[in-house]
Amino acid sequence: MLECANMLGGIQLDFTQLPQQLVNGLMIGAIYALIALGYTMVYGVLRLINFAHGEVFMLGAYTALLTSYAMGFSPTALNAAYSKNLDPRNDPLGLVIMLLVAMAVCAVFGALIEYFAYRPMRNQSRISALITAIGVSMFLQYTGQLFLPSTPPPSIAQEANPYREVLTWNIVPEVLAQDGSVAKAGIEIVVTQGKVVMLITVVILMSLLTYLVMYTKTGRAMRAASHDFDSASLMGINVNRVVTATFMLGSALAGAGAMMLTTFEGTAMQPFFGVLPGVKAFVAAVLGGIGNIPGAVLGGILMGIAETLVVWLGFSAYKDAAAFVILILVLLIRPGGLLGSNKVEKV
Amino acid sequence: MKNGLLQIAALSLALVSMSFMGGCKDPNETKTDKPEASTSGGSGTTPSGDGIKIGLVASQNGELRPWGVDCIAGAQLAVDQINATGGIGGKKVELMIQDSNSKPEEGKSAAAKLASDGVVALVGEVSSGITKQIKTIALEKKIPLVAVGATKPDITADGNGLISRVCYTDDMQGPVMAVFAFKDKGLRRVAVMTDNKQPYSQGLSETFKKKFIELGGQIVAEEFYQSGENQFGGQITRLKGAKPDGIFMSGYFPEVGPMARQIRENGIKDAILMGGDGWDSKEIVQSGGDAIVGGYFCNHYSNEDNRPEVAKFLTDFKAANGGNLPGTTMGALGYDAVNLVIDALKRLDAGKTEINSESLAKEIMNTEGFRAVSGDVTLKGTNGDPAKRALVVEVTKTDQKFVKGFEPADVLN
Repeated sequence: MLECANMLGGIQLDFTQLPQQLVNGLMIGAIYALIALGYTMVYGVLRLINFAHGEVFMLGAYTALLTSYAMGFSPTALNAAYSKNLDPRNDPLGLVIMLLVAMAVCAVFGALIEYFAYRPMRNQSRISALITAIGVSMFLQYTGQLFLPSTPPPSIAQEANPYREVLTWNIVPEVLAQDGSVAKAGIEIVVTQGKVVMLITVVILMSLLTYLVMYTKTGRAMRAASHDFDSASLMGINVNRVVTATFMLGSALAGAGAMMLTTFEGTAMQPFFGVLPGVKAFVAAVLGGIGNIPGAVLGGILMGIAETLVVWLGFSAYKDAAAFVILILVLLIRPGGLLGSNKVEKV
Repeated sequence: MKNGLLQIAALSLALVSMSFMGGCKDPNETKTDKPEASTSGGSGTTPSGDGIKIGLVASQNGELRPWGVDCIAGAQLAVDQINATGGIGGKKVELMIQDSNSKPEEGKSAAAKLASDGVVALVGEVSSGITKQIKTIALEKKIPLVAVGATKPDITADGNGLISRVCYTDDMQGPVMAVFAFKDKGLRRVAVMTDNKQPYSQGLSETFKKKFIELGGQIVAEEFYQSGENQFGGQITRLKGAKPDGIFMSGYFPEVGPMARQIRENGIKDAILMGGDGWDSKEIVQSGGDAIVGGYFCNHYSNEDNRPEVAKFLTDFKAANGGNLPGTTMGALGYDAVNLVIDALKRLDAGKTEINSESLAKEIMNTEGFRAVSGDVTLKGTNGDPAKRALVVEVTKTDQKFVKGFEPADVLN
């Protein structure tokens, strides 16, 4: 029995859609995971929840967009090309450039935010640092509103995206009855090339991160600082450098996520658009166990899939509520998160 | 304190949701302050000096700027034209413009400033959220208000004979699209995508669904999203399962563009995409690409409409604006709104009635069969909502194309 579309109190379970929905969830989760890594790494080292992280994500998206403009894919240039019936596409190298520029700019922003906003607050109470983080977040949103294009610029990046091919994977073919109606629904997974590229890039980035954290000197310093910040500094580790590196790494990942979201999924940008992904990714980080790197990845992907499953059940109107229900449940049942340690912490 | 993390996370969540609310610009969330004490005691204003002042609130800045700029250009054209023919009873008409910065609260203070400058009528805004705030000033100071592009039905409610508009309401555009889908496109199985963060979108989906079902069509699915969301794969997969022959997307263009793209990418190839005036922006083509081209939406006005008023307006607008056409429908609606006021002023002048905001308010509501660029406007016998022509336009690669005009009688019977 492949199809089991039954109506149970309004819930419509269409199992033929489940594989596609899991793929959808994975794509959303991959982006959440990239952002969640930034939250979790900073928390791991500083015990600070960097609420400005969503805004770094937003800046990354704008950077990617403006880079594509600079490479000749501005609205005017594209419209001119269309009027001549041309179909201009970026080449893969162009996408790599966009990715690297977005990551670099975000890394610089991350470092600047840490240096100017959080470093002076380092020895203050954690609540002060938290409030500062929220302040920075709002500062970036409203400054963005002043200086970034005020009409939401559409993402041209996706228009020039070379990976637009739609891949269809027919797992179970649809069977048609004689009269042309569907006798047995098929199962298929439809995904764009771009999303596959996105997923591969996420895997590569995460492998790089793992290598950096586990096998390099900076990574070892990071882990030491995360284990015990004060002792690490006593052992001759330059903790300021470690903190900067952590912020840069986390922000670069957010930048990469932003670039891929704008390019392969398409977004309409405005200075507040980092808020929603930021909050979701924060929940993902808590779900996986904040401070725990594999936890952030797991949490992100679970969040993406959970959200999509809520939609699959037919409750798209409550999709975002699901994120917060998850957060509350995690905090109640397993406050340390799925992979986090459950030790009781003193404040 | 059993668990520090729990505490921190709970607090953070509370704070972040606060900042989140601050971030979204839902005009309905703006609290209405207590009305400031009225200096004149609410007796209305009489034109002072040698000109008749009309106040225009428009978004010269912020995300509504493209509409605001066009609205001002249209309004200015109307005023320049009347002044070129000698004004009203020998008096010049003066257009006083205040910026609302695309924000409801700033729209309110802009309207208050205009009221204290002694305008006889207020014109504006293009969005329902800002107009609602201007309305509070209009009611308080007893100055008539003609809204330009506010389509939310409740704008004219409790207007005390002061509040009117030159655009249709959402009660019109939902049914127009339903009739168009059912009769002109022969669609029977339509799915609906609703932005459940926007009252506009919710209302529009409701009126569309109601009419479509009434006509005998079937709403095969309705899915929800929130403005600000980027990935719609889950909802789209469900729509696909319902096999719709049309999809009605009642949200605003920033989400509709990417959503259209994702609909096609997910293999819904043939369903016709449709929407309301929230689509009206050139950017929808840029963010929706090929996917949105060929989609239909309901609009107030089109440069290609076959009314003679349109051709004249375009010639005049081009001459006044260096050969440029209005970029959005608000050029025509701004022109219409100011002309509606001027038309009432002319009638007052012809009847030798003293011109003040009270007599003007009455005269505006007496408007009958006013030939506006965007369609005939009759306010007599209404609460300020004209039963007005609505157009269906098609999104093309570079612009939009006029498809069909609907008179209220075609739709609302």
